[in-house]
Amino acid sequence: MTLIKVCGIKTRAAYDKLIELRADYVGFVFAKSKRQVTAEQVADLVASVGQKRPAHVGVFVNETLEELLRIAEVAQLDVLQLHGEESPEFCRDLRDRTGCQVWKAWGVKNDDRDAELGAYTDVVDAILLDNDRGGTGEKFPWGAIPALRAYTKNLPLFIAGGLHPDNVGELLASHLTDGVDVSSGVESEGVKDLAKIKAFVTKVRESNMTKTYPDQRGRFGKFGGKFVPETLMSALEQLERDYETYTKDPEFIEQLRYYLHVYSGRPTSLYYAKNLTEKLGGAKVYLKREDLNHTGAHKINNCLGQGLLAKMTGKKRVIAETGAGQHGVATATVSALLGLECTVFMGEEDIERQKLNVFRMKLMGAEVIPATSGTKTLKDATNEAIRHWVEHVEDTFYIIGSVVGPHPYPMIVRDFQRIIGDETRQQILELEGRLPDTIVACVGGGSNAMGIFYPFLNDESVDLIGVEASGKGIDTEEHAATITLGRPGIIHGSLTYLLQDEYGQVQPAHSISAGLDYPGIGPEHAHLADTKRATYVPITDDEALESFQLLSRIEGIIPALESSHAIAQVVKLAPTLPKDHIIVVSLSGRGDKDVHSVAQALGGIEV
Amino acid sequence: MSSITQTFQRLQERGEKAFIPFLTAGDPSIEISEQLILELDRIGADIIEIGIPYSDPLADGPTIQAAALRALNGGVRLPDVLDMVRRLRPQVQASLVLFTYANPVFQWGIERFFETAREVGANGVIIPDLPLEESEEALAAAAKNGVDLIPLVAPTSQQRIAKLCAQGQGFIYCVAALGVTGVRDTLSEDLPQVVANVKQHTNLPVAVGFGVGHPEQAETIGRYADGVIVGSALVKRVGPIADALAAGDLALVEEKKRELIEFAASLKAPLRPSGAQV
Repeated sequence: MTLIKVCGIKTRAAYDKLIELRADYVGFVFAKSKRQVTAEQVADLVASVGQKRPAHVGVFVNETLEELLRIAEVAQLDVLQLHGEESPEFCRDLRDRTGCQVWKAWGVKNDDRDAELGAYTDVVDAILLDNDRGGTGEKFPWGAIPALRAYTKNLPLFIAGGLHPDNVGELLASHLTDGVDVSSGVESEGVKDLAKIKAFVTKVRESNMTKTYPDQRGRFGKFGGKFVPETLMSALEQLERDYETYTKDPEFIEQLRYYLHVYSGRPTSLYYAKNLTEKLGGAKVYLKREDLNHTGAHKINNCLGQGLLAKMTGKKRVIAETGAGQHGVATATVSALLGLECTVFMGEEDIERQKLNVFRMKLMGAEVIPATSGTKTLKDATNEAIRHWVEHVEDTFYIIGSVVGPHPYPMIVRDFQRIIGDETRQQILELEGRLPDTIVACVGGGSNAMGIFYPFLNDESVDLIGVEASGKGIDTEEHAATITLGRPGIIHGSLTYLLQDEYGQVQPAHSISAGLDYPGIGPEHAHLADTKRATYVPITDDEALESFQLLSRIEGIIPALESSHAIAQVVKLAPTLPKDHIIVVSLSGRGDKDVHSVAQALGGIEV
Repeated sequence: MSSITQTFQRLQERGEKAFIPFLTAGDPSIEISEQLILELDRIGADIIEIGIPYSDPLADGPTIQAAALRALNGGVRLPDVLDMVRRLRPQVQASLVLFTYANPVFQWGIERFFETAREVGANGVIIPDLPLEESEEALAAAAKNGVDLIPLVAPTSQQRIAKLCAQGQGFIYCVAALGVTGVRDTLSEDLPQVVANVKQHTNLPVAVGFGVGHPEQAETIGRYADGVIVGSALVKRVGPIADALAAGDLALVEEKKRELIEFAASLKAPLRPSGAQV
């Protein structure tokens, strides 16, 4: 998620607007300027503001240390942004003497002199790039950004200078940007214009929802597409149009943010797993706690998005497929919340394995229909959901639970799940001041992995590792290691890696975790694997079971069996890495639903 | 002009409509499929759709899913079906159309699949999960090999009908109902209008399928369309043959085969010109 800073605030009205829009930073200019304010004015302006406020950034030019410390105190500053000739030593000293972050503003020279920026990487918390004259409201050549990143390493980069609602989209589409800083671009006749501020914030948030893949045909490289019966084609085309329209609608964006926040409890925390880290004795391990979401897994992120889309497009009825039941429960939950009629398809086998989730769904008013065809698991539940959709396409919205299915579903689900990665990015920058070195997530269809990977795709320094379930082992026939052992093929409307025989008959998958028990994988993962942007590794049932117990015992967190696969990979990986290596694991869900299966697997313990 | 289009033309000259039965190849065995197809040809089937069994038939209802499962459990794979077509071709008059999901075609190779289809003597191919947008390579391979890639038009196609028809080969497969294959008691009242709409966009013959299972329905459709496709209603009658075969009761197998063929003949009857001798 691109961070938003609005600078040069002088009035309470503008400040309140930023609170309302949940801007990340508000800038007060203490240097000589037509927007200059004093520490005392700011203290008055921000008096009696609650906890939920943007961080306060003070803007200074060659101010003395003493005065900086005084103003920071009075104006309740969180960040000191320095625009003068402050030396790296000065920045270090300042950072040591206050609890504030220190940002260095840099006038882009677009020549060798920009290399001097390198001296600041260890002593400030962010770099703000501006044109070389500063505060004139003019753009610097954005083409210089990639070269500048080489000097600033993993420091967050804010872009300033000449931004306004009509050009910020272009910036975000063409350059990796951690934050944007705007001032004169949201003013009319030298005064902050509340409508322009809103337009700017909306534009940035929209841009965060757009992407380069898939292409017009719904392809991620050669993968993806729409391999469905003709009956569904019009509905998919309509869904694509609705998605484009509604996800740009400020009301939709606002409602989704609202429910994610107050209903699901986002942001979820990024937890430093100290005990696990010490036990493994290598890399530093953080857990992205998606298990803390309402309903206990990341699935709700997507269901809120698609549920709102169903509601806003006037559909009264939704259907979903589910494996372990987590997506089914999340869909039933959102349906209860939004007043939608809900039908969930679930393999007969999985209904038996996951009785608790079946009961939860029914409790929330959903109808659960057993899929009795084929292997009676997730694959067949998905077949049944698609068949049902073909028949009821005119009044029914199909909420797909993972980054699978025909275009536009893999894109939609990814966009609704990217909040996992967006938050992770912001949190790790706050905690460590840099990006992680490795991100690990389990992959069945791959929605939690795609969600946490996506915002890091352009950060070449971040290793992305997807963990597949290899069941009883990749040398047996009982596994779900789609990328490791599959070949490109078509399943559920999408061209992707697939477990199949030589004639294209789909082969049954196996995993102890019902959520990973799937013979296909999201097409974007197939693309990431082919382009080597991400690597995919197998973890067995036994390894997952061990990690399930390990994390429970030493961190007091019972992970879902799906997430336990990701943990198992970290258990292998972390000890081989140095202590300053940072790993983030997506802890996609909680393990309460799995205690029966685990107890059974561990030797017939009755729970 | 393709063999399929010629078939329709001959029928039209006689004031007759096409009867297009569907069977899943290898259900319950390749041998019985072969016998049934010969019989269907004998009682006047004009085009015969031969279903290649698939593990995940998204567009099919329970009847044809079960048939595919029987065939797959019997070990039937694509080469067996192609060999069967090769043997049948010189013995039957009807045009032969392969009905297959996209993945088996992809694994075989798209180009190679159409080459093989031509070589064994298939006249057309229907791929229900390959919409026009994904068809570029298949259309080219079909044209190159003189095998028709027959498009489906659905009740929801609406604005898409024109472009679907523009790329059509052989005939237009007009899907009668929303939903998957399977017999339905009543046909949509809009159906004549849908067919008329399709005919505005193409000179190709239009055949109607999905849900058709009674001679009366065949007769009704014969009044406004060029052909009637019947799948599940026939495949449902293969079930008892499979059961009899499993029980080793060969007399019962013969009896059930006869019943199926008699039923098929009853579907063709109303499509012949009135007063014609059967």
